[in-house]
Amino acid sequence: MRLNLKLSHKGLILVAVPLIFEVIFLATLTYLLRQAEIEVQRQVRSKAIISQANTLSKLFYDAGVAMGGYSITKSPLFSDRYDKIVRQIPQDLDELKNLVGDNSRQQQILQNLQVITVTGLKILGEAKSAIDDNRVDVAQFRARHMYKEIRSLADRLQDELRGLTEDERKIESEGPEAQNRNRAMVKIYLVIGVLLNFLIAVALALYFSRGISRRLNVLTDNSIRLARAEPLNPALSGTDEIAHLDGVFHSMAEALNEASRKERAVIENSADVICSIDVDGKFVAVSPACNTTWGYRPDELMGRRFIELVIPEDHQETIRAVRAVRAEKGNTEFENRTRRKDGSIVTVLWSTYWSEAERSMFCVAHDISMRKAVEEATKASEKRIRTIIENMLVGLIIITKEGFIESINPASERMFGFDAEEIVGRHLLCLFNDSKLFSERSQSDTHNFMENLFSRALNRIGELDALKKSGEDFPIEISLSEFETADGYRYLANILDVSERREVERLKKEFVSTVSHELRTPLTSIRGSLTLLSVGALGMLPEQAKKVVTIAERNTIRLITLINDILDIEKLESGKLDMVFDTIQMNNVLDRSAEAVRAFAEQNGIKLEMVHTNASVYADGDRLVQVIVNLVSNAVKFSPKGETVTVAVSEIPGFVEVKVVDRGRGIPPKYKNLLFQRFQQVEASDARKKGGTGLGLAICKGIIEAHGGTIGVESEEGKGSCFWFKIPPLATAKTQQAGQPPAAAQPVPLPVAAANPPLKPEEKMFG
Amino acid sequence: MKILVIDDEEDTRSIASMCLGLLGGAEVIEAASGKEGIQKAADEQPDVIILDLLMPEMDGTQTLTNLRKNPATERIPVIFLTVKGKFEEFDNLKELGALAVLTKPFDPTLLTEQITDILKANPMPEPRAKSSE
Repeated sequence: MRLNLKLSHKGLILVAVPLIFEVIFLATLTYLLRQAEIEVQRQVRSKAIISQANTLSKLFYDAGVAMGGYSITKSPLFSDRYDKIVRQIPQDLDELKNLVGDNSRQQQILQNLQVITVTGLKILGEAKSAIDDNRVDVAQFRARHMYKEIRSLADRLQDELRGLTEDERKIESEGPEAQNRNRAMVKIYLVIGVLLNFLIAVALALYFSRGISRRLNVLTDNSIRLARAEPLNPALSGTDEIAHLDGVFHSMAEALNEASRKERAVIENSADVICSIDVDGKFVAVSPACNTTWGYRPDELMGRRFIELVIPEDHQETIRAVRAVRAEKGNTEFENRTRRKDGSIVTVLWSTYWSEAERSMFCVAHDISMRKAVEEATKASEKRIRTIIENMLVGLIIITKEGFIESINPASERMFGFDAEEIVGRHLLCLFNDSKLFSERSQSDTHNFMENLFSRALNRIGELDALKKSGEDFPIEISLSEFETADGYRYLANILDVSERREVERLKKEFVSTVSHELRTPLTSIRGSLTLLSVGALGMLPEQAKKVVTIAERNTIRLITLINDILDIEKLESGKLDMVFDTIQMNNVLDRSAEAVRAFAEQNGIKLEMVHTNASVYADGDRLVQVIVNLVSNAVKFSPKGETVTVAVSEIPGFVEVKVVDRGRGIPPKYKNLLFQRFQQVEASDARKKGGTGLGLAICKGIIEAHGGTIGVESEEGKGSCFWFKIPPLATAKTQQAGQPPAAAQPVPLPVAAANPPLKPEEKMFG
Repeated sequence: MKILVIDDEEDTRSIASMCLGLLGGAEVIEAASGKEGIQKAADEQPDVIILDLLMPEMDGTQTLTNLRKNPATERIPVIFLTVKGKFEEFDNLKELGALAVLTKPFDPTLLTEQITDILKANPMPEPRAKSSE
């Protein structure tokens, strides 16, 4: 049976078992010694009893002899002697009693002795009294008698004493024998005890030492196996410290194995090549990633010099780098180009560590071809972008939040006549016409300038007057956009010199004016001639001729309208549609509109219905008339004969609304959004059939939006349409405009344009 | 009503004259230049002068200025008849003493009526103190 004991328990047993045995052994020896001692004491007591008994016997005799002597001599010597003995006898009896102790047989003998002694002493006492009384006869008789009696008593006493000492004598004679026996036993016990003790100690020591040392050997073996990375011995059984240590050892080995497995997994699965290179530059270990990086299997590289992988151009640099790695004895990095098995080139970043102890270089080789390619691409892209920026015609200036110039492209240099070196670091203000009035050294001036610039050009295109180094000013379009850099926010200013465009615009305007003028002059004559003919002012024409002349007249009018509309649209698009704002009554606008279209409506058999209101607006009255006339003309054109077109003005919350309602064919929903774009009509043939230009609604939209209003249409096919527009009422419009026309999304017209005449109606009254 | 039409463009001048005469029933005198117009205005004393703006040698504004300088013509109402588009700054014409600006091409049937309306709406001021002296 195996005992699952801890090492400490085993040690305890190893000490405790011999100790217990020692104790038992000592107790036995003590007992034996005690027995011997008792035996000795018994011998001594026996001797004392015998001696005392002899003394008593002798005293008795002495008493008899003293009495005899006294009876004969009546010498006081004998008498004294006798008295002394008589006093002595009880004392000796008591002593004997003490010596006998509780031995019952001896007690009995002692009682007998006492009776005999008392009797004897009584007889002797009587004899002495007779002697003292001089009764010799009596005394003699008595002496004789007494002698006999005494004699018998003495004999009995002797017998009793003999009986008493007999046991003692027996004991006395037995003494040496018992002692010898005891001694022999002690000797035997001693020998057996020592022997047993020795045997037990040896047995236990052997048992435990064999168990412990065998297990310790297993531990030692395990540590050697661990070092050699061999499998460990099976775990030791038991619960003692060695088994525990062995358990810990196994756990440790398992953890080491796990760590090693992970490490191996990392190395084997690493995208980078992990390798070690010996002092001769040869691979001594390579991870499988070399397959991916260089196309070689690890076994193909083992033992090869790593310099063989490096392309010859990079040999010198690599050798220098490796020497540096050895010299620095730390982590060092270097790059080189290596050749793959397939001949292609891979750029590798080597992260290396030189171990002096192992005389090896541990490396991680990271394929950075992709990164290099990206870097190259980035560089190329940067170069391309720089080339673009440097060659673009738009001026680019990067400024700080406060407006100080950080960089400027060549287009800006050319535009402003400054070199980058002389302008970088200065305030943007110096490039603007404002610098004639304000100083770039004044913080409040630059601040105000930037505030103004941001409000006009941040994330939108603003037009400003810039200033060249030469002092010449020129118009620019500028747009600022914010972007974030590592140093904080910056603004990119896109600047376009619009001098040429302005000139082109001016020329275009002049061209349009000239063309329209040149077209209008002959058209005036044509229209006049045709009208004179058609109305019969020059005499009645044949029916056919009159028809033809009427067609010519109608188309001339259409041509004139088209030219007028083109002029209007051109002005709307350039944001320079002339507007003269004033407080006007909508009733007046309505009347003038009705007047303008009444004849046309009657001509088409359409009745006009006007719904008035007392609202006032701050607007260009002529333009509003133009819009209403346009809408009503359309409504008339598309209404069946005999129908009514209603123009209703009403006040709605926040607006004055004008509705032009017809009962015509209506507008398909898909055209609703297109209607207000240029040259859009519901049907392509409408322009010809109805004589429109397709520009009217686009012009109306532009005019209404310039008033800060909106325009739209609601329509149901086959039932008619309702064109509407709404503009702010007087109070709102005036507050909003604050002296300027409500140019919704339009740039502000030049002040000079405000004096321009309206386009329709065709006359402008002064005063 | 006697109307003087000053226009260098013969076609336009003729049509305007015919419209005013044939359709409007006015007596029309024609002048082919500013210089001729000023002369005819002084001679004929028309009720109104219809003046073109763009003319060679002496343009409409110069003609108007000269008409206003001449006591014989200074009180004759002047209405510009011009192609719109090119000369858009009409305000200074008012400063020079024009009554109105009519644009070409005009509606022939309405031309005389328009002129009459303008004249009614803008009666000429009384002769200046200078002329009464």
